[in-house]
Amino acid sequence: MEKEPVTNICAEDIVHYQDLARQYSRKSINPIFEGEYSDGNLSLLQEKLKTAFDIGIAAAPDESLSGCQYGVWGGAIDETGIIPSSLILSTIAETCGGVAMCLNAQGVASNLILQAKRKLTFIPVKVAVGLQEGFCPPFLGTITSPDKDDPAKSMTTAVQKGNNYIINGSKSFVYSMSGVDAYVVFACVGEKWGCFLVEAKGKGIEKTDVGVRTGLRACCVEHVKFNNVQIPLEARLDDGDARSLLIRAMSLNWMGMAAIAVGIARGAAAAARKYAAERYQGGMQIEEHPAVKMLIAGGESSIASADATLYSMQNGPLATFSGLKKSATAKLTVVDLCSRAVTDCLQSFGGYGYMEDYGMEKRLRDVTVLKSASGSPVYLKQLIFDIEKEGAL
Amino acid sequence: MNNSLEERIEQIKMANATQRMNFFGRLLVDNREMSLWEHDTKLLSWGVRRWRRKALKFAREYIRPLATEADLHPHDYDPKPILSAAARQGFQTMLLTPPLGTASILPYYRNTVFQLAVIGEEFATECGGLTLLLLAHNLGVAPLLLSGSLRNILGQMIPFYLKSYILGRPDCMAFAITEPGAGSDVEETEGGALAKLVTTAKHAPEKGGYILNGRKCFISDGAIADKVTVFAKLENEGIESWTCFLVERGMQGFSVGRSERKLGQRASDASELIFDNVFIPNKNVVGKLRSGWAINRNVLNYSRPVVGAMALGHGRGAFERCLEFCRKTYLGPKHLIEYQDVQLELADMAMSLWAARSMIWHSCRQFRCYQSASASAKVFASDTAFKVCNQAMELMGDHGYLHAHGVERAWRDARLTQIYEGTNQINRLALFEHHLSTDFKV
Ligand SMILES: Cc1cc2nc3c(=O)[nH]c(=O)nc-3n(C[C@H](O)[C@H](O)[C@H](O)COP(=O)(O)OP(=O)(O)OC[C@H]3O[C@@H](n4cnc5c(N)ncnc54)[C@H](O)[C@@H]3O)c2cc1C
Repeated sequence: MEKEPVTNICAEDIVHYQDLARQYSRKSINPIFEGEYSDGNLSLLQEKLKTAFDIGIAAAPDESLSGCQYGVWGGAIDETGIIPSSLILSTIAETCGGVAMCLNAQGVASNLILQAKRKLTFIPVKVAVGLQEGFCPPFLGTITSPDKDDPAKSMTTAVQKGNNYIINGSKSFVYSMSGVDAYVVFACVGEKWGCFLVEAKGKGIEKTDVGVRTGLRACCVEHVKFNNVQIPLEARLDDGDARSLLIRAMSLNWMGMAAIAVGIARGAAAAARKYAAERYQGGMQIEEHPAVKMLIAGGESSIASADATLYSMQNGPLATFSGLKKSATAKLTVVDLCSRAVTDCLQSFGGYGYMEDYGMEKRLRDVTVLKSASGSPVYLKQLIFDIEKEGAL
Repeated sequence: MNNSLEERIEQIKMANATQRMNFFGRLLVDNREMSLWEHDTKLLSWGVRRWRRKALKFAREYIRPLATEADLHPHDYDPKPILSAAARQGFQTMLLTPPLGTASILPYYRNTVFQLAVIGEEFATECGGLTLLLLAHNLGVAPLLLSGSLRNILGQMIPFYLKSYILGRPDCMAFAITEPGAGSDVEETEGGALAKLVTTAKHAPEKGGYILNGRKCFISDGAIADKVTVFAKLENEGIESWTCFLVERGMQGFSVGRSERKLGQRASDASELIFDNVFIPNKNVVGKLRSGWAINRNVLNYSRPVVGAMALGHGRGAFERCLEFCRKTYLGPKHLIEYQDVQLELADMAMSLWAARSMIWHSCRQFRCYQSASASAKVFASDTAFKVCNQAMELMGDHGYLHAHGVERAWRDARLTQIYEGTNQINRLALFEHHLSTDFKV
């Protein structure tokens, strides 16, 4: 699909980012899917993700790595806007939503570390962020003040003790590339949010895999518990109030998820068009049947609207409530539009859409996980309403 | 009177407020505390009600414990025990009444497939794959009955009834119309006329039968079936010559090819069947020669409401498990179920399911199922079920996509009901086709 150039980014840049992502998909992700299983040979994944660091697609907090600035959600997004990262994510998601989700999780956590106000004592490479506790991400009241039961306060706390912070609590559904070096953890410090870099191998950290999941299986998802985890004062990333970092993390995460949904849907639509031109039923190629045309065209229109929504966010402020509202809206609408597109495209395959052969069932699984993950539609609607009601805060 | 707010709320709750009505007014208010399920069950005639309760019990006792494992490792579980348990309880012989089957007599002659639809819903609340495993068998049996041939009915159904219900060693049957090059085409009139069919039967009078060649695909229970009703055209003729043949496991040249790996309903196989010069004796011709197309279309008329009911069951299973989750899970100091937005979603899901159930029950309420009602019920119920499963997953947030809760399994299972027994697009066209000379006259 052709892209309109937007502020701060020109057509050549867009082509450049897409090419980069396409090459990565072709050379690194496609081989994972050469076997017979629809989720691919996940034992090859770590090696392929390493390539993402080497070619600079994966962001990392380590400045010696090429993705530090221009990888997905790298340090440069405040100048380049969100399009480069969303383009990379959506292009990769055309091939595999799970790999894109790995890059998204890595990018969000890296971006937060790159905002650190002080020199860190250790610089990790693979990172993940713990945003959610219990059932869902924090609601507006709790974003504003973590100790407010509005409706559920943050139970993860950080208490200063001499030259250390002691962290207690837990984070649920932490997405990552798997085998992370450190977690970025939001915790309640008195009445304010604090944001901490916690070494994954540290004492008192307990990780449990969430178990078998519907989709996005290339991406690791864990619950992480912190039992009296001791970290040095320098590992605190904020300057005394991490609220804006929390908002930034949520915004980036949702925009990334929306971009991934667009990519998955685009992949589905392209596959459906191809199949519809090859399959004969009723004495003609099925693309000649209005029933099939409507399914695919409906899907493509949804994708176009979703794409436009994403593009409209290019210059939006990331760490403000209005930015958060926009990204919540994007996650809500874009993922919904895209999941409808995917299911319609799958329908045009008839029985073959339900089988692993054409990858359509994987696309449906992946995009459906995006809908429920890190903020369900009911949660997002509440948040959107509350932000508007409370004003800019 | 200065009542507190709580007292006032208590007083105006319907059950209490009713007490202020006069006797006759009170009689007209239904304040019985009863679940949705009980309310619906009470609407049914005695015979159907009995099967609904029995199916619920069977689903909880036999299907529930097996569901997760059979979905995760479909090749590692043995389907025989559950098939024979279902047979012993009479679930595998529901297409006829005593003395050849187990369906309750009176409701059967009023609404042939109603009892099966009710059973399908209950089974499917627990697991789509195991439900398909048990119910696809009926699809295989249906051509024998709908052929109207007494020879087929008595010849096949008496031994089947004895083996299945009395001995608990049922033969499993499958139904094979779909071919690699003809899916929708074998479910739709115009497509049928243009279909590129491969499976062909050649008359072999010297041997007293037919030689069958070709292949079928996506056949539910194909890998485990003892007998398959296979539809084939006669040599040098078109689809109008379609004839139904009973192919038995062990017949020379009959083999099972690849079994598909699918998104859901994984506990039952969808397999390719290969016919390589299979000799079919004349006694295994089902119904009259060249009556296959009509039998096939009529089988679909009878089976689509049941598929709709299965879809409804998937939706209900997702809803019930989601409800349980909302009852148990805290958000801050309150359970999820106490929040109004959650209540709205749950209510919406329950209403959608209710609407689908009404439509299915309505479509079954006659002795002969007809095309438009059956297709409509199947489309509406399957679309509704998929929507409800999506709502359930979304409401549960990240928990929705975990296998452990079983909601995503219902979601995967429900998606298939929009595809098989004719895609929902083909079913919409079936509704139109049925009333072309009346409502939809061009
Ligand atoms: C798990 C599973 C189990 C099954 N079990 C059985 C079984 O037990 N026995 C059996 O015989 N079959 C079985 N089937 C086959 C099933 O009924 C077919 O898959 C279904 O009818 C669709 O056919 P198809 O897959 O060939 O899709 P296609 O016919 O190729 O359809 C592809 C797309 O084209 C559209 N289309 C096709 N023709 C037309 C037309 N004329 N006008 C408008 N749109 C059209 C369809 O709506 C669909 O969107 C099973 C399928 C599955 C997936």
